[in-house]
Amino acid sequence: MAAPKLPCLRTSDVQRYILRRILQMIPIALGISILMFTLLTLAPGDPVDLLISTDPRVRPEDVARLKRIYGLDQPIHIRYVKWLGRTLQGDLGWSRTYKERVTDLMKDRIANSLWLTITAFFLALLVAVPVGIYSALKQYSFWDYLATTFTFFGVSIPVFWFAIMTIYLFAVWHPWTAWPPLAWLALPPGGISTPGVGSGLPFLLDRLKYMLAPSVVLALLSMATYTRYTRSSMLEVIRQDYVRTARAKGLAEGTVINKHALRNALIPLVTIVALSISGLFAGAPVTETVFAWPGVGRLLVDSVLGGDYVVAQAVLMFLAVLVLIFNLVADIGYALLDPRIRYD
Amino acid sequence: MARNAATVAVPAAPQPRSDIGEGYWQIAWKRLRKHRLAMAGLFVIFLLVAVAVSAPWIAPYRFEEIDLLNRFAKPFIAGHALGTDDLGHDVLTRLLYAGRISLLVGFAAALSAVALGTMVGVVAGFYGGMIDNILMRLTDIVLTLPLFGVLLLLGRYFGGGVLPIVIIIGAFGWTVAARLVRGEILRLKSLDYTDAARALGASETRIIFRHLLPNAMAPIIVAATLDVGGAILIEAALSYFGVGIQPPTPSWGNMLQNAQSYLWSSPLLAFWPGAMIFLTVLCFNFFGDGLRDALDPRLKV
Repeated sequence: MAAPKLPCLRTSDVQRYILRRILQMIPIALGISILMFTLLTLAPGDPVDLLISTDPRVRPEDVARLKRIYGLDQPIHIRYVKWLGRTLQGDLGWSRTYKERVTDLMKDRIANSLWLTITAFFLALLVAVPVGIYSALKQYSFWDYLATTFTFFGVSIPVFWFAIMTIYLFAVWHPWTAWPPLAWLALPPGGISTPGVGSGLPFLLDRLKYMLAPSVVLALLSMATYTRYTRSSMLEVIRQDYVRTARAKGLAEGTVINKHALRNALIPLVTIVALSISGLFAGAPVTETVFAWPGVGRLLVDSVLGGDYVVAQAVLMFLAVLVLIFNLVADIGYALLDPRIRYD
Repeated sequence: MARNAATVAVPAAPQPRSDIGEGYWQIAWKRLRKHRLAMAGLFVIFLLVAVAVSAPWIAPYRFEEIDLLNRFAKPFIAGHALGTDDLGHDVLTRLLYAGRISLLVGFAAALSAVALGTMVGVVAGFYGGMIDNILMRLTDIVLTLPLFGVLLLLGRYFGGGVLPIVIIIGAFGWTVAARLVRGEILRLKSLDYTDAARALGASETRIIFRHLLPNAMAPIIVAATLDVGGAILIEAALSYFGVGIQPPTPSWGNMLQNAQSYLWSSPLLAFWPGAMIFLTVLCFNFFGDGLRDALDPRLKV
């Protein structure tokens, strides 16, 4: 649909495209919130029911009174609208199990998760891009087969098992510590820091030690996915005519690969990477739980399994919004990088 | 262009006639046979299925049988090839029975997810317009959901048995297949032979089931194969967190959860179930990848 150009608003195509994508996000976000609110509200055992099950002295009239106080006796659509209103004002409620405001709880947990997610993200990217490129340039070589097999391993391995095996190897068994130069390579089985470690450099080194295993475990899946996409995208690009032209006019091989092939090959990767950042967050629950890392993912697992639905709702909504935002980032990145894309 | 092979040959002929050369499926099978990893994967899958089906006959013990005098037995001690767990269950026996559950859940969940996705994709792609719009926005919503959290939540309410887990995984796993099938249907719908069928007075049902679906079969089969591995991983993760298959019914996931507490003293207890999950999923991914190359070379990555 060609919108009439308004002379006063000089919006470019890209800006209009971004605006439209943001507007499209709103109904999806609302849909997700409705779906999740319904799921959590229809869950057997609302907060008051859970309260009774732990205290036999609570009488039925107390239950009715409590439900009225908390607004649990109202129909679901009213409760949803009230919840939505509060959430949009930044009030996510009060956690029953953590005895804390959910916003405060989330703030700490997000900070902890970021340590892990950002490390894992760069780890994955730094390994995957060179491996993917090399594997494409040397298609069907031994190293290509090795890299391809590795990507299959990465997408097939159950994360919780990999995590447990890592803990066993590096925190329990570590036979190599008998050899003095490797004596330091015994990692903690979980947690985020040694109590009373201080600040500054000792803190950072300590944090690094705790982060090493979980970030590698978390990075593995993304590493495999990125490698696959880099390889296939590179394979596609080096068959293009403009690469042959570059070679034909006598450019050095390094220039052909770096300037002509790689830049174009990385465009689709930007999309995959942006889409998967939210996936790193979403994939963190398992890793964080096994390694006892106090992040958002573990908060999700604990709150769902512990029946703290106020927290669960907040975390689920946070993760969904994150996915939406990174989808948008992926689309915008693609639109900016690839001039061939049409804005519709 | 290998694409020609798929269009020149009679697509999805139920009974390939010898007088018109090789059919699409024969060509695909030939290509698949050359794919070593896929054939290895297929072989191991057959082996796993055979072992799982015959578990009651080949397992050395009953899965609930307890050898209290030999708890935490090391491998090959007291007649337990892989040792025993904390209650004295024979680990090999439980691995075999758990394989039944995991494979059953994997196949059933993948099948229901892909069936549902195909239905949504066909309806959205074929009818288009408002229906398409609603279904695709629904797909967007489900795709945006933090899947693991939602499955954990549903597992907590309804989990425990095989059927609820299959339904839960199927109910949220259809989106990828739906998008894929919709795309295929949109492409096929615009081809001349569909117009020809319509011009000949074929009904909508006939066009969908005789002309569109058989030609969209390749990506559907590939998606289903890869989904089996995915479903097995999800079931294992849910069982690992205690909301999937409940003991005493063994599943690889709940065996691993149980073994985790004894990681210091009996690490092998945790090794076996995870290794089985890994092997199974790896084989489905190898096979699915080879199948994609064989059925439709356009669908790379």
